[in-house]
Amino acid sequence: MPKKILVVDDDPSVVKYLTAFLEDSGYETITASNGEEAFEILKSERADLVTLDLQMPNETGTRFYRNVTKDKNLKDIPIIVISGLAGRHLAVTKPVAVFDKPVDRNALLKVVRETIG
Amino acid sequence: MSTLRNEDFKRLLDSIPCYITLQDKDLKILWSNEFHRRDFGEPEGYTCRDFYNIDSSKCEICPVHNTFLDGNIHSKEMTLITKKGKRINVIIYSSPLRDENGIIEGVLETAVNISPVKEIQKQLIMLGQTVAGMAHSIKNIMMGLDGGIYIVNRGLEDKNQKEVREGWEIVLLNFEKISQIVKDILYCSKEREPNFAVVSPNKIVSDIYHLFKDTAARYAIEFKLELDETIESAVLDPDGLTNVLSNLVSNAMDACKMDIMKDKHLIELRTKKGVDGATVFEVADNGVGIDKELKDQVFEEFFSSKGDKGTGLGLMVVQKIMREHGGRVTFRSRPRQGTTFVATFPKREMPQPAE
Ligand SMILES: Nc1ncnc2c1ncn2[C@@H]1O[C@H](COP(=O)(O)OP(=O)(O)O)[C@@H](O)[C@H]1O
Ligand SMILES: [Mg+2]
Repeated sequence: MPKKILVVDDDPSVVKYLTAFLEDSGYETITASNGEEAFEILKSERADLVTLDLQMPNETGTRFYRNVTKDKNLKDIPIIVISGLAGRHLAVTKPVAVFDKPVDRNALLKVVRETIG
Repeated sequence: MSTLRNEDFKRLLDSIPCYITLQDKDLKILWSNEFHRRDFGEPEGYTCRDFYNIDSSKCEICPVHNTFLDGNIHSKEMTLITKKGKRINVIIYSSPLRDENGIIEGVLETAVNISPVKEIQKQLIMLGQTVAGMAHSIKNIMMGLDGGIYIVNRGLEDKNQKEVREGWEIVLLNFEKISQIVKDILYCSKEREPNFAVVSPNKIVSDIYHLFKDTAARYAIEFKLELDETIESAVLDPDGLTNVLSNLVSNAMDACKMDIMKDKHLIELRTKKGVDGATVFEVADNGVGIDKELKDQVFEEFFSSKGDKGTGLGLMVVQKIMREHGGRVTFRSRPRQGTTFVATFPKREMPQPAE
């Protein structure tokens, strides 16, 4: 069974890009356009990894991150942050990896492979 | 110049455009120059701290005190309040005044007003932040461009026309976004005379509508056009109007995107006749609205609530263009309900070429 990745970004171009690329690399994908929606999805659907844009309106990205890391059922899901603000004051601690936008997709794939196979 | 008399020295000190005071070991002000008295009043008998009414924590490091201790020149930046209540930034230098045996009798404190320098410094910091902010929003858009290109290539490989078209749309969308930023930068970086022409406002508004229609659909936002068909023509700068409208519409779309409370979102683009022959353009949305606390800030340059996805240039450019037209832009908003921006262009005659 292919591993499933949840892609969270408010920009539909980015969502389209990441899902196409990850599917081409053999993963299944599900998507959410804000943190609230993403958290709802995770309550009912399993995901093996999450890519998250932290810079989403209303701080929903940051809140999502906090909610997931605090939830005992979800806290072990690896999260990869993809954000134009990488390297600057990140509002969260210890994601698996942090990527700057525009993302180097091969580097991203490498981390995904290392994390979930 | 031959020998200077005592009064000459006094006049000399008085006419130096710096605040000069002489202080004793207890930091009591013994003497001040004319420039100082003009802005701060008569200080004799007061200690420095009482006279300027300085918070004691700010006096912990006192250059005058240090000069009494080691005989060296010390300096410090401070904010002082003049007798008229104006805050000024000064840099203070303290230097020892010695008697013939080399003993420090007093310390001369020279304060230079650096408020204008501070102002420039503030603007430079702002400029730096804006450039950084702009770089970040462009990086975001580049990711979208990368994505579009990836989808196009994928479609070409799979000989999938539909996918090629979809990828191409993403490329165009992000290309538009970058163009808008570049236009905004150009608009606010130079003084430009509007290129007045006789135009059809309804035509320009329709063009904008068609430009944004697909994007709105992508975000599942209903987009409506309401034209007052009795408007025939107006004299204004068509590029300026296009920029105003595209900034207002893209803000309205962002406001809808940011709103996670409502299920259905709607943007209306309207033309209307105003008083005295003015032409009015309205962009109404039912997005997040503008909080009361932010009302005064939205037109400020570089103000954005969108993190690395905004530049804060849009409304500033809108306001600039409206001013160039002798018109104005206003808005009414209810937090969490929505916002309507109104741009009013006054009636204008086409300048007649001289005969
Ligand atoms: N239609 C609107 N609804 C809600 N907020 C708005 C709207 N238009 C503008 N704003 C607020 O004004 C700010 C400044 O807008 P603008 O100058 O266009 O910069 P930017 O769009 O890059 O953030 C926005 O970040 C947003 O907070
Ligand atoms: Mg804007």
